[in-house]
Amino acid sequence: MNGALLLAVGGLTAVGLYLVTGRSLSRIVLGYSLLGHATVVALIAAGGPAGRPPIAGQAEPEAMANPLPQALTLTAIVISFGLTLFLLALARRQRTITGDDLVEDDLEDRRIAASDSMPGEPEDQAAT
Amino acid sequence: MIFGLLILHVAVCVLLAATSRRLGRSGLLVGAVPPAVTAVWAATRLGDHQPVSADVAWVPGLDLAMTFRVDAFVDIMTLIVSGIGFGVFVYAYGYFAPGADGIGRFAATLLAFSTAMLGLVWADSVWSLFVFWELTSVTSFLLIGHKNTDKQAQVAARQALMITAGGGLVLLAGLLLVTRSAGTTLISEMLPVDGATATLGAVLVMVGAATKSAQVPFHPWLPSAMIAPTPVSAYLHSATMVKAGVVLVAVMGPALGGLPAWKACGLAFGVASIFWGAIGALRHRDAKLVLAWGTVSQLGMLITLFSVGTAKAVLAAVTLLVAHALFKGALFLVVGEIDVRAGTRNIDELGGLARSMPIACTVAVLAGLSMAGAPPLLGFVAKEAAIKAALALEGPEAWIVGFGVIAGSVLTVAYTARFLVTVFGAGPETALAPRRHALSVPAAVLGLAGLVGYAALGPLNGVLGSAARLAGAAEVSDLHRWPGLTLDLGISAIVLALGASLGLVLSRRLGHVPAEYGARWADASIEATMTFGRATSARLQHGSLPVYLVTMAGTAALAALPFLGYVSFDHVVAWDTPLQAVLAVTVIGAALALSFVGTRLAAGLALGAAGIAVAAVFVVHGAADLALTQLLVEAAIVVGFVLAFGHLSRSFPRVGLRWRAVRMTVAGLGGAAVVVGLAAASRSPVAEPPLSEMATASVDEGGGSNIVNVILTDIRALDTLGEVLVLATVALGVLALARASDRPEGSAS
Repeated sequence: MNGALLLAVGGLTAVGLYLVTGRSLSRIVLGYSLLGHATVVALIAAGGPAGRPPIAGQAEPEAMANPLPQALTLTAIVISFGLTLFLLALARRQRTITGDDLVEDDLEDRRIAASDSMPGEPEDQAAT
Repeated sequence: MIFGLLILHVAVCVLLAATSRRLGRSGLLVGAVPPAVTAVWAATRLGDHQPVSADVAWVPGLDLAMTFRVDAFVDIMTLIVSGIGFGVFVYAYGYFAPGADGIGRFAATLLAFSTAMLGLVWADSVWSLFVFWELTSVTSFLLIGHKNTDKQAQVAARQALMITAGGGLVLLAGLLLVTRSAGTTLISEMLPVDGATATLGAVLVMVGAATKSAQVPFHPWLPSAMIAPTPVSAYLHSATMVKAGVVLVAVMGPALGGLPAWKACGLAFGVASIFWGAIGALRHRDAKLVLAWGTVSQLGMLITLFSVGTAKAVLAAVTLLVAHALFKGALFLVVGEIDVRAGTRNIDELGGLARSMPIACTVAVLAGLSMAGAPPLLGFVAKEAAIKAALALEGPEAWIVGFGVIAGSVLTVAYTARFLVTVFGAGPETALAPRRHALSVPAAVLGLAGLVGYAALGPLNGVLGSAARLAGAAEVSDLHRWPGLTLDLGISAIVLALGASLGLVLSRRLGHVPAEYGARWADASIEATMTFGRATSARLQHGSLPVYLVTMAGTAALAALPFLGYVSFDHVVAWDTPLQAVLAVTVIGAALALSFVGTRLAAGLALGAAGIAVAAVFVVHGAADLALTQLLVEAAIVVGFVLAFGHLSRSFPRVGLRWRAVRMTVAGLGGAAVVVGLAAASRSPVAEPPLSEMATASVDEGGGSNIVNVILTDIRALDTLGEVLVLATVALGVLALARASDRPEGSAS
């Protein structure tokens, strides 16, 4: 395991988590992107030490980096790319409708939390 | 056969639910078919000593299976459940007016209960037992709340559900502990257990049984449940469902009976309920409530006898179980008929029914005498057996059980006498609606059954005896129709005389309607539970996405704590090349910059910087394909980000310092947790990758020299196809969202 990459993973995760817990949709997208980076770097770091590109004929097999985690990571990059783009499209749509990019609280949940009785409960019970 | 019957029940139940509107009242007669078939099957098996069983594996690895087993004891219970069930369906046909509301729903639910109850008594695996146990609680809830617009019915239904389903959870905990000590989940295979775990488990099982069988202090739900239509009260709340706890104590008796705590708990619940129930029956003026409180008392007697566990006590308990189902069922049905025809069941307003309802009166007197334990009825045999069992005990147990049985019997006679005298005796003549045969016939059959049982005690002896043997009695003596001039008979005579005079004295005293002591306690604790639930959900489900995420991330970070012990840096090197350290610092720096900048455009650029730094990490690592892909992807995302947000000039919303500190702490913890997890995982490195084999295979079999590409297009071709599909779907979604009208929904177009 590579210590420098380990720290990079930790840093990316921490900043990513900080951003996704914000209220602005654009920062959530940014944070999500950083969390994706953290994951792919973690995969690569866990897959073995650095080496020559794994291309047969261009390097001795012993000097190559492990190709298997690279193949997995490639999938991870592409899927997280797809999801990020979709998030961006949703965010743009929200901006078109509300004029802003803030994540609103769920009003129904707030109402339930504020009221005394659960929905559908006999009212006289709540009073006693 | 077992599965066949269950499937028949379920099929008819579904049919009733689907056609509830069209069938109306006749749905009740359709619903009577499966219980009738089952009752006939159980009757043909009476006295058969060979148990039948059936099972279907569910999760074999976890020892989860639906296992059913019908032995002699269970066979008697089946006959009670289905035989009385059949009678109740017919009775309900007479009870409801044609075209009354929700009869189809009622028939389907009643049959669903019948199915669940059969599953409960047939279950051999404790997990099947638990599932059906909870199903009976749920169907009971639905049936109590049948008049679903009535506030009182709603409250009563909820109370019953909270107490019985809550007790079910206690039972589940108990069963987990007991099966752990017993080493098997099959009740029929359990051997006597001991030890602290088993003791705790046994106590929890007993508490679960006590909630279902309405034992003090869990009894208040049973009187409240009398708000249900009378067929339900007769079926669920006297003959069958409330017996579930008793049946549980009976079948677990052989395994748990040796534990002192089991017996102590059972006696405490049982004896307390015998007295408190009987006192309740003497205090109330609603005929149905009198019977319900009487049921609490009789269930206490059953729990007492089964937890004593001697051969005589178990035999007495099995006999009383049968007798009680017959006489209490009959009495409820009679009260229901009175309620329907007289329009009231308050014993102050009833009178002279002996003359105007002769059949009902005869049935009630027969059933009442059986309840009081007078000859020549089955109840007499049961009570004689109980007294004999109590007298055969030794030590303090003899005193407790003897006192409970004998003094309890006196009170039973007293409330029976008071009930019969006040309902049928002299008084103002009550006006009556015309007779309905569907109402009187089932009641008469149940009432006469007590007499028939007494007369046919010879053959019945074998049946009850083999049942008692299975419920834990080692050797079984015979029941006697007439004990002869013994001490038992003397006690019986005194009990009858004392009880009858007490009952007659009390029946003339028309006191005030007493307050419900227990119910207030139950309501308060249920209210407290609801308040707690409201407070919890208000706190947890407050609707704020950031708070949800912080809660989840914090919890996940804490879950990484145990891995701290496994962290080892033996396999961690600082870097492969110093360049990696530089790049790591760059990546973190870009990420931090990204979180500090104030405008979205700058943030987008910082994101690009971080992405390029990650691509450089790939290059250094020897992952050229990744670096290329990363660069392309990053460029697309930065462009997309700027398109989506770039012209939003407003700066990011301000947040409070404290909340920001919380988020930073949790984020830091999350980052640390990932580092800890990875460092812990690196302790056990996998084998060296077979690089040269991969290189050779890539060229020879994959036909390409780039190993990563060969893996993606050959080895993981299907995954890659899926990936392509994901991207295509995303593209469609993005396109749809981008082309959607720019006007908000609902505005004029």
